[in-house]
Amino acid sequence: MLARIAQELFWLGRNLARAESMSRLLEGVYLADLQGRPEDPSATRLSWDSLTHIMGGRLNGEGRPRSDEVLDALTFDTSDPASVVACVARAREGATTVRDVISTEMWEAINTTYLRMRDGDLSRPVLSGPVALYQHVKERSALFWGLTSRTMLRDEASAFLYAGGRIEAGDMVLRMLRVALPTGRGSGPDDGHAIALLQAVGGLQAYRRAVPAPAHAGPVARFLLFERNYPDSVAAAVDAVNGALRTADARPRNSEPILRLSRLSADLEFRRSAEGDADLGVTCREVQRELGLVDGDIAQRYFGGARAA
Amino acid sequence: MSDVEIARSQDVYCPARGFYDELFDGDGTARPHAAALAAALAALGPEQLAAAGRRRDTIFVEQGITFDTAGDDGPTLERPFPLDLVPRILPATEWTHIKRGVAQRIRALNRFVDDVYHAREIVRAGIVPWRLVVSRSHFARAAHGIRPPGGVYCHVAGCDLVRDYDGSWKVLEDNVRVPSGISYVLENRVAMTRLVPGLFTDYHVRPVDHYPQLLLAALRAVAPAAEGEATVVVWTPGPLNSAYFEHAFLARQMGVELVEASDLVVRDDVVYMRTTHGLQRVHAVYRRLDDDFIDPLEFRPDSALGVPGLMRAYRAGTVALANAVGTGVADDKAIYHWVPEMIRFYLGEEPLLENVKTYLMSDPEAMEAALRRMDELVFKPTGESGGKGVFIGPATDPIELAGLADVIRRSPEKWIAQELVSLSTVPTADEHGNLAPRHVDLRPFAVYGETISIVPGGLSRVALIEGSMIVNSSRGGGSKDTWVLENGEDHSDSAVPTRPESLPPTLPDLRYGAWTGQVQQQQQ
Repeated sequence: MLARIAQELFWLGRNLARAESMSRLLEGVYLADLQGRPEDPSATRLSWDSLTHIMGGRLNGEGRPRSDEVLDALTFDTSDPASVVACVARAREGATTVRDVISTEMWEAINTTYLRMRDGDLSRPVLSGPVALYQHVKERSALFWGLTSRTMLRDEASAFLYAGGRIEAGDMVLRMLRVALPTGRGSGPDDGHAIALLQAVGGLQAYRRAVPAPAHAGPVARFLLFERNYPDSVAAAVDAVNGALRTADARPRNSEPILRLSRLSADLEFRRSAEGDADLGVTCREVQRELGLVDGDIAQRYFGGARAA
Repeated sequence: MSDVEIARSQDVYCPARGFYDELFDGDGTARPHAAALAAALAALGPEQLAAAGRRRDTIFVEQGITFDTAGDDGPTLERPFPLDLVPRILPATEWTHIKRGVAQRIRALNRFVDDVYHAREIVRAGIVPWRLVVSRSHFARAAHGIRPPGGVYCHVAGCDLVRDYDGSWKVLEDNVRVPSGISYVLENRVAMTRLVPGLFTDYHVRPVDHYPQLLLAALRAVAPAAEGEATVVVWTPGPLNSAYFEHAFLARQMGVELVEASDLVVRDDVVYMRTTHGLQRVHAVYRRLDDDFIDPLEFRPDSALGVPGLMRAYRAGTVALANAVGTGVADDKAIYHWVPEMIRFYLGEEPLLENVKTYLMSDPEAMEAALRRMDELVFKPTGESGGKGVFIGPATDPIELAGLADVIRRSPEKWIAQELVSLSTVPTADEHGNLAPRHVDLRPFAVYGETISIVPGGLSRVALIEGSMIVNSSRGGGSKDTWVLENGEDHSDSAVPTRPESLPPTLPDLRYGAWTGQVQQQQQ
């Protein structure tokens, strides 16, 4: 298939996954912010302040940003490329380019998501705050991926779409983990933020079923990193990207991104069996760096063809 | 300041005379801790509030947060759980007092249960008459001599508190069998943050969502198993039970199995549950049914809800039951009368929370005195809960009262009389969003594992009918979200935490698809 189309699909997946992750994260912070978390004396970690760090520290340098400014910028601001609205707009733009490749129903799902957001009946409802918008994005995202698995041929195109979605999901979970649960420096036993984080990613019940330990920072970080049975964990995302690329690649044994992903997957399994939570922060950093390299490798191997020509 | 003017204006809200209003003082001025809320409510206006109320009903029906009420003429109706959108606010100092008082009471009740089934010291000391104890309907002979791990009997407890006309807190009832309502506390908070987030703006409200973790930790702590290996289950009588929503809620929130009697089996004094992998050992059971039904071999032989042999396993110490068998004797309304004495006897402390003045009908003098002024008192059967069989003197027909007097004379030990309490009021929104005073009570929930933990706030039940003091949801009552505020006066300061000393790691910038850049490259 065309390298350009493959890249568009990859980024369509990434943008949609980012819009959903952002919505979950923002909703989590918004709701957690309404109530105090007195158990955690070491200052709020899953807060508006840390949100800017999660997004790569863009708002740094000008002092502490006000919470409603951050919320506004990251939710509604069309000129801010990281905002939920902008992610959805980019996804829709990308979907237009690959409209012939994806199924009609998928296209309509994205298009109506965008239109309903643009027409504003979801933006800034006075009473319920931005929650209605987050809910909308979450629901529509689920609809889109559901339609993808029902209506799209499982070919190269869907593999790139899927790979984009999963690599983004893994990256976002790592961002949240690194900022919200900086382990290794004595997190309190009643860490309300671990619960808030799990609630934000929608994994609280999965955690409670899978892990007998209470939701403290350490076990939660291990769960979100290593638990392959939980679909939104980093390990599951790595495996999913790996699997998707294998179906897309004609010669997977020579593929740099696939080799890197396989190494990363084995590495995660190895680190999982290691005792102690002290190195989790280091693990997060290294895994995120690797994911960045994978992203570069993917662009090089699959999307670089156009540039070379 | 315009906020204060709004809060003062009489046409917004007018407290009822003769009662303590928790948000406004006598002349209609908002109390200091409620000023911001009053302003926020005024800013919302009745229309917005009514609109939020309609959305709440839709959401609750969709999420299945409902309860069944029997209609007057037959069929049961499924109604959305009535949550009032105006919260009740408890300042930190007030909450600290309540928390200590409730914890003290539960410690004493727990000691009492232990005492009753073992040494009976309080009986020997001549404080509580043994005849009264053994005649209680929930006294469990089968529990004699059994001491559960850690000596904890009342793992889950709730006290019903009311606030009298002078603002003082009093205990109306103790619930140490299967107090219910905690699921509504958690769901109410979730609903409030989604429906009216604007009300939270100027407050720092202590969260309640850690309750399932507290409960799970407490159950694990008392389970006879190695650390981290205890299997805990929630035992429900079944989906037809009126509190089934809560049973499922707690099981889901704790991540444990929700079992019915047919899932449990006892082999050689050990409790197992039937799973797809065969029998699996169960170490702790949070049971949501009364003693009478748990084991047909020891209690009611006709109970189809029970597990035969459970009591033998319990006696052998291979399984922990929460609450322990026999706790019902402590929340009997005749025993309630002695709780202040228990606190002095077992703990050597003065009770922090008072009882409502109570007269035991088993005392002939007290009975005659009470029967002379039946139209002023409240009469309650001792072994019931949930407002069943209660007669409120001033609101009851004299002919009915005369009939009641006969009943009481025939079996005086089954009745108590209490002074009427003037329940405090909190502004409550009607269907059009207008505020009016309605009476409330408060049920804080305590979990007793290694220590006693109490979730900030609790269930505030509110009588939705004007002037009514009956708050039970089965009889037209609703509920309110209960906010316990953080310590410290300066909320704005605690709301904005100082930047942690070690900055979070700097993360790589977000990437964006860069196809356009490549196109330009090509064109060059």
